[in-house]
Amino acid sequence: MPITNYQDAKRPVPFPLSKYFWVPVSLATALFMASGPRAAQALPPEFSTDLSGLNTEIPEVLTTTRLRQPKTRVPGSTTVIEGDLIRDLGIKNLYEVFRLVPGMVVNFVASHQPVTTYHGTVHYEQRRMQVLVDGRTAHRATLSDMDWETMPVPLELIERIEVARGPNSAAYGINAFLGSINIITRDPSDSSNLETTITSGSRGYLRSFASTGNGSSNYDWRLSFEKRKFDGFDYQVDDGQRFPFRDGHDINSFLYDSRFNFNRQSNLEFRAGVVDGVKYQDRNKTGELNPLEHPDVDVRDFYLQGKLNHSLSEQHFFHVQASVENFDRRIEYPVSFPDSIAQCLSSNTPIFEYTDVGGNPEQLCLNPQGGPDLYADVNANSEDTRLELEFQDTLLVSDNLKFVSGAGFRKDIFRSDTYFNGRGNNYQSRVFGNVEYSPKTWLTLNAGGNWERTSTTDDSYFSPRLATNFILNHNHAIRIVYSQAVRTPDGFEQDPDWGYTLYNVRPELYSNLEGRRITINDVVEEPQRLTLGNHLEEERLTSQEISYFGQFPLEQALLSLEIRVFRDELRDMISGVIQLQEWTIDNNVEADQKGFELEATLDFPGTRLRASYGYMDQDTRYTGGPILNRDGTINENEQRYQTELLERLSVRHSGSLAVIQDLPLGLKWSGAFYWADEFKTHFERFDTRLVKQVVQPRYTAELAFTMQHYLNRDPELSSDNNIKDANQFFVEAGIRF
Amino acid sequence: MYKGFRQHEKRISRSSFLARHGFWLLFLLFTAPLADHSQAAAPPVAYIAGSGNTALDHHVTQLLEQQLGNTATLKPLADNDLASIRKTPVITIGPTAFSRVRQANREIPVLALLVARKFIQSYIERSPGRISAVYYDVPLLRQALTGKAILPQANRVAMLATTESAELYEPLIDQLKGYDLDAKVFIADTEDQLIPTLIRALSYGDFLLAGPDDTIYNPRNIKHILLTAYRRNRILIGPSQAYVKAGALASSYAPFSSMAKEAGGLLLAYLSTGNFPSPVYPDEYRIEVNQQVARSLNIPLPAREWIAQSVQNMINIDDPEAGP
Repeated sequence: MPITNYQDAKRPVPFPLSKYFWVPVSLATALFMASGPRAAQALPPEFSTDLSGLNTEIPEVLTTTRLRQPKTRVPGSTTVIEGDLIRDLGIKNLYEVFRLVPGMVVNFVASHQPVTTYHGTVHYEQRRMQVLVDGRTAHRATLSDMDWETMPVPLELIERIEVARGPNSAAYGINAFLGSINIITRDPSDSSNLETTITSGSRGYLRSFASTGNGSSNYDWRLSFEKRKFDGFDYQVDDGQRFPFRDGHDINSFLYDSRFNFNRQSNLEFRAGVVDGVKYQDRNKTGELNPLEHPDVDVRDFYLQGKLNHSLSEQHFFHVQASVENFDRRIEYPVSFPDSIAQCLSSNTPIFEYTDVGGNPEQLCLNPQGGPDLYADVNANSEDTRLELEFQDTLLVSDNLKFVSGAGFRKDIFRSDTYFNGRGNNYQSRVFGNVEYSPKTWLTLNAGGNWERTSTTDDSYFSPRLATNFILNHNHAIRIVYSQAVRTPDGFEQDPDWGYTLYNVRPELYSNLEGRRITINDVVEEPQRLTLGNHLEEERLTSQEISYFGQFPLEQALLSLEIRVFRDELRDMISGVIQLQEWTIDNNVEADQKGFELEATLDFPGTRLRASYGYMDQDTRYTGGPILNRDGTINENEQRYQTELLERLSVRHSGSLAVIQDLPLGLKWSGAFYWADEFKTHFERFDTRLVKQVVQPRYTAELAFTMQHYLNRDPELSSDNNIKDANQFFVEAGIRF
Repeated sequence: MYKGFRQHEKRISRSSFLARHGFWLLFLLFTAPLADHSQAAAPPVAYIAGSGNTALDHHVTQLLEQQLGNTATLKPLADNDLASIRKTPVITIGPTAFSRVRQANREIPVLALLVARKFIQSYIERSPGRISAVYYDVPLLRQALTGKAILPQANRVAMLATTESAELYEPLIDQLKGYDLDAKVFIADTEDQLIPTLIRALSYGDFLLAGPDDTIYNPRNIKHILLTAYRRNRILIGPSQAYVKAGALASSYAPFSSMAKEAGGLLLAYLSTGNFPSPVYPDEYRIEVNQQVARSLNIPLPAREWIAQSVQNMINIDDPEAGP
């Protein structure tokens, strides 16, 4: 009689095997295995009867709490994107992966600068998610934003990406405000002999990747190289006319990953990477003081990371991790000013200052007097260094009681004449912990928290999380989660000293301005709105979640379903504009977010279906002090603008649908549809990929063709982000030995 | 409940056992009492050569004795007996015991227990009727279907082998087509090639099937193989119970009691005819699973009994490689 589903299987068997029956057999087996002749050709080799050596090393499926937890026990909804899914769907850039995550959106600001976030909020200076690459904080140290285009993570090396949806400050600290992204790359011991891929496509897309590695009992290593070139958007629009848009990049990454195995209890992971290249920026979109040339960014980053893992026993293990990351960005470009501004700079007169001329206010600095223009060079160079030290201890008292705890210290060093007028430091220290307790098979309780102190606010914060998971039939769980999180302003938000120093001033007439630093106070347009110098407080978030996770084994398929219902209160949110002429950020907005999200996969033999959907309703209110016009009246438009800024990436509906289908003759097809609404217009794109795979005993080769079709031709966020052709094509070839 | 299950188990096993060895049982049933009445002769003797593992040898001997009852007597084999044995059968436990007996005296009729088919096959071909066995390894088809029962959505099976051991999987690849499963063997001849080849195998297969190939699956490699597989959310099925304890997700296995029943039948046949029948697989298989691994990988794991029954239901009865 065919078996139709697992439900029958889960019924108690009429005559359950008594464990006592197996005692003698198990004993005999264990003894047999332990002392059996090693020369035996057919007898099993020696093993102990437990998960010797593996218990501490089975890869952490979910890192939401830093404990290894199955989805039924994890205190919150977590999306896991496997590297194979990314590659099967033909995703071309790391940041595009996040369109697969319910509630996450992806878009671009400035010169094709990708921005992605969970539950939206602002588009510029998005820094409300903690992003980790192999446990290393990935966002920049001082400006705190994510530079996805230069992140040294080749798609081929991604093992999986875990996105903890919802505040995760309880585990990862103050930047894990809306959620956390944990990018886990392939273990160095899992390296191919040689692997290479090259992809070429529309808009100058070129990506080449090569990796080689080897392993032994004591030392595993991998060397990787990736080159990424892309032209970005095709054109920008000004006064109805199209102009070329310089917003591509040409980035090279060299990576070294290794593991030194000292003995069965200890190993050291060591990673190093160098990122070198250019990010092209358009002078009409980027760069202060009206650049004369494109202010391209010369990227010279590196990182070093060491992680010592040690097991005291099968149930007790810890790691110590230290890392150094350096982000060195060189931006140099010429600027020019009319003689009137040069004179104002000489006399320290604010450029936008109004002077009463015959009863009429006039901006005299903006009225050229016929003299020669001033030319000079400026730079926006910055070098950030982050030093991070972390200790984490895991104690598995039993399968029902698990602890993880630890402490961390971080030092951010920033060196920039432009942004900080020199050098400064920020310090963060934290203590964290989580306990998972399962008093019954149907009940798991999680309690965790993170205490942190940061010098940016000279204050300390505690972010707790409490969760109860009701587990039904091993495969289903209902979670009730309460958590709080904070985000503190970064060093630049809190304590900027922003100014551009004029070098190589010409003509000689203006030589007195050589070395003159043009600051916010020189160029601010509306001084009454300036918030520079205001002490910023932390943003706070209180989140409540009820979620369900279930797996339904069907006759020929497996259905996995996760539904999250949430209600978040965001308070003292920092909103406003960060520009040299307009510095208006403050803790002036609050928002309530509520909605639900769904993620489902259905795996049939040879077919995989995946769906994600997020619905979010955001109610945003201005709570700051009154913003005044020059005449002292309240500027309601500006207050509304401040609230709208916090909604730029907050979309009501977003989601994805994907199909991966095995075909005969070694072919595989995939299709994916992504959408998000309530930017300025909808984002809608359909991707399709056909790959021919040749699997031989000694090598695997692939040839793939990908097409992206943009259903909506209108730019979603900025009117300058335009693509000429709705269809984008990519060809990819790869071989792995 | 416990007693009830044992009765149930006995009922099922006995019927199967009767079907396979009924003739010899009946023969002995009728001839043994006659012998008792006529001359009260002692039951025939069979030697047993242990593996050296006292607990295991004792357990297997006990099960065999229960199975044989009064129809035969088991006597431990001493080394100085080896040269003089001519027709008295010897039961060996494990391949080392078999090799020891075989090397000492090639004429001895041997019933080999706890040996893999690959190990014993050539001896049986050389000495048909004088050597038989109850295979210890699980038929690969049964292992593959164990994976299919746990992952019903699976349709590709990957296997790792060396050039020499690849033939182990050859019959299986054709067999699996009948079960809507595609299979490929990936060759790793050196240690350096193991993990790169495994990575490609894991990209291809929905799960990794391990056969009794100790050049690939051995204590030195297994941890690395398992960790690599689990990092890719792929599971390992097989090759034996011991590997499940070490971290493989599941494996079919034959309980010792089932092997003892088959051994009893083969021995009785020899005692009656002077020739061993062909070697057999046990007629009952169970499933060992690793719940911790399943939980860690978010794999919903049915009850072990359900998996075993599901595998049994899937197996094509006419499939010679499937075992009983």
